[in-house]
Amino acid sequence: MTNPAKYQPSEREQAFLSTVENGKYNRGIVTGIGKFMSGDVPEEMRDFYSADELAALTELDGSQRDVQARMPVKITRHYFEQAKKSRPMQVLIKASPNETADLEGAEDPGKQMDYSPVEGLIHKYELGLIYVASTCSAHCRFCYREELIAKKEVTRPDGTVAPKGLARIEELVPYILEHNRLVAENGGRHPETGREKLREILMSGGDPMVLGNKNIAAWLAALAEAGIESIRIGTKELAFFPDRFDETFMAMLDRFHETYPEVNLRMMVHFNHPDEFLKKAEDGSYIEQPAGGLEWLDNTRAAVRRLRARNWINVDNQAPIIKGINNDPDALRVMQRELKRSGVENHYFFCGRDIVGYKAFNVPIEEAWQILNESQKGLSGVETHARLSITHYKGKTEVAAVTNEPIPGLPGAENGVVILKLLRSAADAPDRAKVTIVGRNPEAIWFSGYDDRVLFDEAGLYSIYGIDLLARSNAA
Amino acid sequence: MTYVVTENCIKCKYTDCVSVCPVDCFYEGPNFLAIHPDECIDCGDCVPVCPAEAIVPDTELTEAQKPFLALNAELAESWECITEQKPSLPEAAKWDGVAGKLEHLER
Repeated sequence: MTNPAKYQPSEREQAFLSTVENGKYNRGIVTGIGKFMSGDVPEEMRDFYSADELAALTELDGSQRDVQARMPVKITRHYFEQAKKSRPMQVLIKASPNETADLEGAEDPGKQMDYSPVEGLIHKYELGLIYVASTCSAHCRFCYREELIAKKEVTRPDGTVAPKGLARIEELVPYILEHNRLVAENGGRHPETGREKLREILMSGGDPMVLGNKNIAAWLAALAEAGIESIRIGTKELAFFPDRFDETFMAMLDRFHETYPEVNLRMMVHFNHPDEFLKKAEDGSYIEQPAGGLEWLDNTRAAVRRLRARNWINVDNQAPIIKGINNDPDALRVMQRELKRSGVENHYFFCGRDIVGYKAFNVPIEEAWQILNESQKGLSGVETHARLSITHYKGKTEVAAVTNEPIPGLPGAENGVVILKLLRSAADAPDRAKVTIVGRNPEAIWFSGYDDRVLFDEAGLYSIYGIDLLARSNAA
Repeated sequence: MTYVVTENCIKCKYTDCVSVCPVDCFYEGPNFLAIHPDECIDCGDCVPVCPAEAIVPDTELTEAQKPFLALNAELAESWECITEQKPSLPEAAKWDGVAGKLEHLER
């Protein structure tokens, strides 16, 4: 690895950074099944795993099916308190032998490593994604960043094998400046890749909100100085530890905004289920407020309010639809309604990725579409902004519709079709909004489930892999 | 859970751990560093960078190392937080690996 020169913050940057204070947080994190085995957890948590559950998990230790090696167990006290009363949250956070019952799947189905010009950066669109933290406050069992979180080695496009590294300011900033310089000199497009200016960076990981305020501030300022107009922070901390969004964090953001008033912040939050932010009555039901809406957990509501009180910060929710957690139209309906009511936009729902050890969580694509569609019945237009998205190598793709009716005279469409629409397209977006239509396969969990029934492929989702239309392969 | 700084940090204090800690949970004494157990988020990033191999998860402490769990908690409360790497102590290389360093711990 090259060792670039140490990053020199500008005077403006230093003035901002000198005002930042770190908050102090006690997340009450418990990591590792061993803690539950030995009883070395707070007394109330001792029954979180039954003796049978613990025995079934530890039996797999050291085997190919080692659940803890796939993803270490990790939970915060806040999440535990909610999960006690919620089966879906338990599925999200508790390890289960089912996770490794089927080990098929691809290592990197989105082939994201192809788009990584410097360590810790995925540069696919005019938006770049950076890894700034290698852990989260707790671990979702369905996490698809397991190679980063569990520190696994990945194969790079050049064939080398190494653990995924984090982005470094001193490497990333020169890359952004150089990319944007070339784009500007070349009339708005990169001369080789055709990409636009890098305008937006998504800070991800891991969860950037595990970092201290000073670390987050250093990233925000460095990105702003490099000319980034919008910064996203991808975080599940509102669900895991909402007290992280405290006054010291907001004070840092306010100073940042004073220093860089044109830069937008987009908090990309991650709620899977309304149990993660709503209070429950003794009987397990949500609590209706006399003045309307349902009652939120006080600290989660306060955190959202603090963010939304700042007009330069947007809050968007995005979440995968996962078996046993939120494959439930009623839960998703409540979630979309309550998030919108509190000023959180419903952005994407995702189909689960076809990664190794992931089948325990996957809902088939067509079923996920039906669940989301069902959940949006009875919601108003502004509450139904969320789309179902599946990540293709070429770009984010919407599962736009699933029909029950056949298309008359079209072989392969006897059971209806699935209409896929490319929402984003890498580089200079040549294929944006183009459509692919495939014959239905209710079992399909990934694009490959339709390889033998492609009916129309304007978007090139299949032709990119040399997969022909059904009509033409039948003729051949 | 938390990670724990153990005996071999004493009189070495390399501070490589401080440069990688995402949450700034290291606290600095005269010749030792301590991790605040409530603030540590169990990422383990500090473990491979420690030249003295002094950092251990609390689940893997040997019997001899176990007292360091409470010691880290106690010292982190009384010492100042350290957020930037600095040069190691002058005789770090000489003391790295020496047994029985606990008696040299300065508070």
